[in-house]
Order: sequence, then structure tokens, then C-alpha cells
Amino acid sequence: MRFALAVWLGRVAGWVSRLTGRGGSSLPGLVARRIDPQVFIRLSSHLPQGVILLTGTNGKTTTAAVASHLLRASGLKVIHNRTGANLILGLTATLLQASRFRLMPQGDLALLETDEATMPKASQESRPRAIVVTNFFRDQLDRYGELSTTVNFVRRGIESLADQGWLILNADDPQVAYLGENHPRVFYYGADLSAYASSPGGYDVADARFCPRCASPLHYRRQYYAHIGDYECPQCHFRRPVPDLLLVDWQGGASYPLRIDFRGEQFAVPNRLPGLYNAYNVMAAISLALLYDVTLAEISEGLEEFRPAFGRMEAVSIQDRLVWMALVKNPVGFNQVLETIQQDPHPDKNMLLIINDHYADGQDVSWLWDVDFETWLKSHPAGKFWASGIRAQDMALRLQYAGVDPDSITVIEKPSDALDDLLTKTAVGQVTYITPTYTALLEVRQYLTAKGYTKHFREG
Amino acid sequence: MELTLAHLYPQHMNLYGDRGNVLALQYRAVHRGWGFHVVDVDLGDAVDWKTVDLIFMGGGEDTHQARIYEDFLRRGPELQALLDEGVPMLAVCGAYQLLGHHYRTADGAVLQGLGYLDITTEAGPSRAIGDVVCETTLPVTPMTLVGFENHGGRTFLGPEGTPLGTVRVGKGNNGTDGSEGAVKNHTLGTYLHGSLLPKNPQVTDLLLQWAANRQTGGPTPLPPLDSTREMAAHDVIVKRSKIRHV
Ligand SMILES: [Zn+2]
Repeated sequence: MRFALAVWLGRVAGWVSRLTGRGGSSLPGLVARRIDPQVFIRLSSHLPQGVILLTGTNGKTTTAAVASHLLRASGLKVIHNRTGANLILGLTATLLQASRFRLMPQGDLALLETDEATMPKASQESRPRAIVVTNFFRDQLDRYGELSTTVNFVRRGIESLADQGWLILNADDPQVAYLGENHPRVFYYGADLSAYASSPGGYDVADARFCPRCASPLHYRRQYYAHIGDYECPQCHFRRPVPDLLLVDWQGGASYPLRIDFRGEQFAVPNRLPGLYNAYNVMAAISLALLYDVTLAEISEGLEEFRPAFGRMEAVSIQDRLVWMALVKNPVGFNQVLETIQQDPHPDKNMLLIINDHYADGQDVSWLWDVDFETWLKSHPAGKFWASGIRAQDMALRLQYAGVDPDSITVIEKPSDALDDLLTKTAVGQVTYITPTYTALLEVRQYLTAKGYTKHFREG
Repeated sequence: MELTLAHLYPQHMNLYGDRGNVLALQYRAVHRGWGFHVVDVDLGDAVDWKTVDLIFMGGGEDTHQARIYEDFLRRGPELQALLDEGVPMLAVCGAYQLLGHHYRTADGAVLQGLGYLDITTEAGPSRAIGDVVCETTLPVTPMTLVGFENHGGRTFLGPEGTPLGTVRVGKGNNGTDGSEGAVKNHTLGTYLHGSLLPKNPQVTDLLLQWAANRQTGGPTPLPPLDSTREMAAHDVIVKRSKIRHV
């Protein structure tokens, strides 16, 4: 009785907040949990194929989007949370609203993108059948202090995995791989790219180049970016686990297929997402799909149809100018976006960098100094720069110190004004990359929607 | 002018964009036509300290800090001699704490520091996180310093300790006595990230000035250099804190 009341009042709260334009994604969760603290436990235990939690620093949204697309392509009814609704209230709201008129959520399973700090609670309450961990990078340390705190949240989450539950782990990230040590059911994905040149001499933030078991410096046989690669500890011999799913060829562009080895059998799948970091996201999604018995043919077909979520390296055409948008939130992610921009052979590339410092963006902009603009600029052809957002001046200064000619940097704090200025000062046919932080991305979306440029944008 | 900066433990002690401080010193030296060389000093590396004009060390995660601890203390006497001689050093966060007498952890363990700065630090009940604006005791204009703090330790100055500044926004050393950082000779210890030097070019220039004076053995002119962009970034924090420049 208490449960039914919680569900219905939670939904009512959702309707009311949507009608009043507050869009509140957490209010229904708050109301329902107040009435019945067990509401999330009850809702998730009703799903026939249970709950999957997906966490990690970068790539959660893209991985969840690809994975739920693949699971759906195989006929499963998948409940999937909206971007940003990844704390316990948002997760609760997602299950509450997965049915309009019935008490219980209508679906086979729920795939929930989960904030790292929410992992212990979300896992304890939902007893997930699978946990996917993408990577651990430095991100928004103003929230959790240090990276080891974040890793511990996820470790605690894993303790509540269902009895026959699986871990899906990135073998190429030492701290992620270490989560699987001594665990009976782990599916590892990774890459073996002999032809891929990792950027030598570039500056990378050293988050985890030390052995997670004995803290000695790791030796890398191959290092693709940051601490992602094929490693071994010379002291205790902790090493990259053998991946069950291995990326063996990746060409960089958005239209080259990925060549994948699945336990000795090779196949190619279409890929529309640029950047090696996105190839890893796709690998994580395929791993999950394989674990849920989606066939290779269904995976291939699903990837062919997949379109990226809003602002995750998605291209739009604005007044006949090709505009790519890629969310940035931490040094490793930003470096990967820069590398992807570098791989675009277009001779004339403009950049609009929008840095906000609201809570959701990270209030400390120090991390901009850990982004390796210096190395990137060496191979960046001429182009104009716009710096925007609340911390536009910090961004402009960062570019200037990296060696960008100050005269080619325009500072306009309001993102919509910066975008207007950019459109008047760039020529038709030129390419522009927009790199906003989280709340800046929302501002840009609002502006583009108002201008009618976003008809084919999908909700992430 | 050719300056050499020793960057201590860049692999382990590089939290929160501390590298921006090295980039700032480099930028403002090179744009004055000076040579600027960075020497990375990692665990066990031999250093020719005679060639070093400036020293920088940042903060690190606890596990990383634990790894460099022994090595750092071993270098203590050498380092102390240089600092006494007037070699400028910027020590941020964890490095600042290590220059003090000791750090008392939450479970009561006492980690000895170098004892160069007259400060002691203890683990606080919560992390101090947020914008900082302070008024510095250094001979610079403006006297306002801006940055971002993120530390669990609470630092207290001893009788010989001189603060780097007085906090106007934020917590600073301990959130109670209004002090931030510590200064001794040409050594600056601080909790300010941000990074500190890019947004406070007057401090960058002071460190370069000290280094140049020491190398030439007398007052050395610092060629003028525009600071418009640096001060624009500085002013964003000052303005939203509703504070006037001093
Ligand atoms: Zn080891």
C-alpha cells in the first residue's frame, strides 16, 4: 500500500513538475523515496532480466546509448535513464516513470547510467545482474576529492552484484581491470592496435600509471591515451587481463568499420563515432550486448543505424557550416576530443570553447591546465578561436599560454552571442568544433533549438 | 637571461592543474626573450642544484604523496640550503604541507616534514573547497590573489611563520585565523590552485625577478610585459566575490 502510494505520488510529482516547466528529473524520486524508502528495491526486483549499472568517468552516456540501442535491436524492452539523471533520485524516477498507468515498470531490464558516488547505494538496492565500468580518469575532484575515492565507490558497488552477476570491465585501464581480480565472472574488453601511434612526448595527466596492486610504476607495451593501453607491473606482474573482446583495427575516421576479435573469431562492425575513446565505448556496449545473447548480425545492424546522443561528437549543419559538438569535462576527455579534431583532414578548422563553472561542470577550472593544447597545436592548421562561457577568460588565457596568437582569439562570454559572431565570421563550407562543458552544452542546445537548427537532435 | 626551473615530482605531485604554474613561469620568461628550461626531478633522480634558479612542486593524491615522501625528505638538507640562499620556490598544497614541521593524519599518525616553513598541519573534519580571494603580504600590485582551494588539511602558522596573505573569500590555511599560505625568504607555500600563477601574473613576475636578481647578483630589470588577459581572468573571480582590488 505504502509502495503503491509512493509510485503514484512520485509520478504525480513528475507530471506536475513537467507541467510547470521545471523538467525536474529527481523530484518524483524524492517524493517516492520519502513515502517508501524501499521503492527502488521493489521496482527493480520486478524487472524480469534485472538491472545493469554502467559507471566510469568518461563515456557513460555514449556507451549506455549504444548498448540500449543494441539490446533493443534484439527485441528486449530496455528502460534507460536520461542524461544527468544518474544519482539515486534520478534512477528511482527512471523506474517510476517507466510505466504511465501500471504500478510496475514495463520492461525486460533497466540499463542505468550511474554516477560513481551513487554506485554503493544503487547497487545495494538494485542487486544488479551486470556492472559495466568504462574507465577512471580525474574528473571534478572538487566533488569527491581524489581519484581513489571514486574507485572505492565503484568497488563498494561491486560488492552488491547479484550472485550470478557479471562484471564488464575495460581491460586496458589498470584500475578498472583490477576491480575484476579474483572475481569469478568478468568479461573484459580491450584493444590491440599495433598500428596505432600513441602520442609520444605529449603531456598526459598521470592518474593511474602506478600498479593498483603494489603501487610500482607500470610498464606499458602499448599506451593509446592517458593510462589506457597494454601494461604490466614489473614488480608483482599484475598485467592487462586477456580481453574476451578485442579491438584489433581502428582507422580513426567516423566511417571506418571496427575490426573486432571475439574469442578467436574476427568480424567487422560499422562505426559512426569518431575518436578512439568512442571505439572503447562501442566495445563496452558490444560486450554487454554479447552477454545478453544479442547476435553478431543484430549488433552489426544496430551499429549501422545508431546515431550519437546530443553533443557527443555529433555533426549538425548550421547555415551550411558543418558544426561538430563534443562535451568536455576533464583533461583526458578533452585530449581525446583534440586528437579527434586533429584527425579531421579539413584544412580550416574553427573552435568555439565554452567553459562554465557551475556545480555540474566542476567549479574548479584548474583542469584546463592539464589539457595538452601544446602538443595538439603543433599539428593544428590555421583557424579562429572563440572562448566563451563564465570562464571564457580562463580559456582564452590557456590558449594564449599554449601558443595561440592572441589576435586570433575572440572572447564573448555569452555562448549564443559567441555562436552568432562565429557564424558571421566564418565562411560557408568551413568546419567548426564546439567544445562545451555540461551546462554550456545545455545552453547551446537551447539556443540551437530556438533557432530551429536542431530538428534531428536526439535526447542523450 | 637563462633560467632553469626544477619541477619536483611532476609525475606524482600534479593535482588540479599545478602544471599551469610551470607554464606561466615559462611563458612570461620566454616572452621577455629569456631562455627557460624545465628539469623534471623524479624519484631518485640526481640533480645538479647549482644550475637551478627556481623550484616548483605541486600537490598529489595521498597514495602518490606517500611514494615520494622518503625521497623528498632525503633531499631535505640540500633543498633547505638552496632555499636559505634565496632560490625562489613555489610549493602548492601537498608540497606546502611537506615544507612544514609535520602533518598529523586523521588517525593521529605524525608525518615529519622538512621543517623549513614554521607551519604544522592536521587533517580537518571536511575538505575546504571553493574560490579563494586573498590580500597578499608580498610586494606586488595588485595585492589581490585569486585561486581555488581543495584540501583536507588545516595548517597553522608557528611564531616564526609569516602568512602569504589574508583571506577575504574562502578558507585558506585553516578557516579560522584568516591566514593563507606562508612565506619565508623567497619560498611561497600556498593552498591556491587555479592554477595560481596564470591568473596572478604579478606573482609570476616576482618569482622571475627574484630568480634573475639572484643569478646576476643584483637588481635586474624585468622587461615590461602585457598582462591584460591574465588580469581579465583574475578579475572574473574578484568581481563575482564583490571585492575591490587593493
Ligand atoms: Zn604491481
